[in-house]
Amino acid sequence: MEKITFKVQRYDPDHDKKPRIQQFVIPFKHGMTVLDGLIYIKENVDNTLSFRSSCRMGICGSCGMLINNLPMLACHTPIEELKKDTITVKSLPNFPIVRDLVPDLSSLFAKHKSVKPYIIAPDMAEIEKPTAEFLQAQGQLEEFVQFAYCVKCGLCMAACPTVATDRHFLGPQPLAQAYRYSADRRDGGAKERFKHTDTHHGIWLCHLAGACSEACPKGVDPALAMQLLKRAIISDSLRLRKKPVPPSVAQPLAEKKPRVAVPEFTIKKPGAKS
Amino acid sequence: MEAASKQKVPLQNRLGIKGWVWAGRYKIERYLYTLHRLTGLGLAAYITIHLIANGFRLGGEGNWTDLMNIFSNPGIKVGEYLVMAAFIIHALNGGRLMLQHLGITLGKPKPPVYPYVDSMRRRRPLIWVMLTLMAALAIYTLVAFVIGE
Amino acid sequence: MREVHWKLLQYITGIGIFFLVGYHLIFSHFQSDEVTEWSSVSSRAASAGWFTFYVLILIFGIYHVLHGIRGIILEFSLPQSAVKALDWAIVLIGVAVFGYAVYIPINGFIS
Repeated sequence: MEKITFKVQRYDPDHDKKPRIQQFVIPFKHGMTVLDGLIYIKENVDNTLSFRSSCRMGICGSCGMLINNLPMLACHTPIEELKKDTITVKSLPNFPIVRDLVPDLSSLFAKHKSVKPYIIAPDMAEIEKPTAEFLQAQGQLEEFVQFAYCVKCGLCMAACPTVATDRHFLGPQPLAQAYRYSADRRDGGAKERFKHTDTHHGIWLCHLAGACSEACPKGVDPALAMQLLKRAIISDSLRLRKKPVPPSVAQPLAEKKPRVAVPEFTIKKPGAKS
Repeated sequence: MEAASKQKVPLQNRLGIKGWVWAGRYKIERYLYTLHRLTGLGLAAYITIHLIANGFRLGGEGNWTDLMNIFSNPGIKVGEYLVMAAFIIHALNGGRLMLQHLGITLGKPKPPVYPYVDSMRRRRPLIWVMLTLMAALAIYTLVAFVIGE
Repeated sequence: MREVHWKLLQYITGIGIFFLVGYHLIFSHFQSDEVTEWSSVSSRAASAGWFTFYVLILIFGIYHVLHGIRGIILEFSLPQSAVKALDWAIVLIGVAVFGYAVYIPINGFIS
């Protein structure tokens, strides 16, 4: 059976002053992902190894790690695609390390929350208690839907060179989400988000290194979202931005089908009247 | 080993300035950012020296001529060429960045279909055109202005 | 002024520098040595056109350089309270450098 070497970053806050690398040699099977390797290590070699994982299919964003010097999702990275005999796995850079491969993502969530990542509509009653669907054309949806695929894995933040030095910088994920909601025609909160992102540690510290889009595992392209946000802020500041017409709510049907009565229960409860 | 404190503070793991220069197996656009920053700082340092040197004009012809004699050193010519090269790189890359910051050359968003290709990689030909122009101007400057003198 | 306005000025000065400094590099640095001789320098110093050219280069160049350096300093996790102090320091440095640098062509133009 083939073998593969894993060099895994270990850090125990109770015993270690700084992270160290521990080497494991494990059996390799065709189709194995990096997460499969880590789970094998935890189950068979060293059960103290700590890492996050959940869906193991690239949708939850929990298993973000630095794999062979690139931020990736461990479940989404087949070992064969790395084309190396040695896999180096470290915790995501630019996030504090809680333990081993577990990063502290609280700064990401706090920055994400600060850009108000929800629809702020003029008519909030319709958003909170919808009566019907919004009529949004396919083209209007495509203006923002790419950025809605974000799973908040933090890989873009790990890749960003500005986040590497500036802990106040909002970062690719929050800024991309600020654009996602500002570009949604149901939303009316663009000016509030522009005020928050057009600041000293906001959008203008993005210098288009493009590493965020390279690292993104869901094709969200946060770099594109950020440049479109810059364009929106510039046109808003020069009063050239056209206020988008909010989509209307679908009208109730002119003809309603007769309501079908709920059938009687076939199994009666004991003591119930027939 | 020290005993753990009651509230464990996660270990800081920022890359710092090292993260500007090299951070991993990224593609060329990531390192064009590093080059833009290095050339910008280099040009800023040169401009400072240049303004100080210009001040020698206030001292009259004697001062100025002495300074020009120092600057006729071949090593200074190499330095001037490097400044010109830094200017070419910073100016052309800056032009590209300005267009892309305004979203002009990045294209429109579209729903992602695997295998994902982001907007900057789709616009890779623009990078090649820019790099070709940089190389052409750098070689032309070297031949016409430095070797040709 | 908002951050976006400072950034727009950065773009505008960048375009200006491309043409002004590009011409300056070709004309002053890469022509024959006659351009840097005292007689040639003095005749340019007395010209209104060249005087305007140098003042424009200084304004565009100093703004572009200082705004760029400000961006780099901000990336060192500068707290909000220090940002205002940084902005004032940049303005003072810019005014001082411009004052020193513009005195040279003024001196040449007047004398």
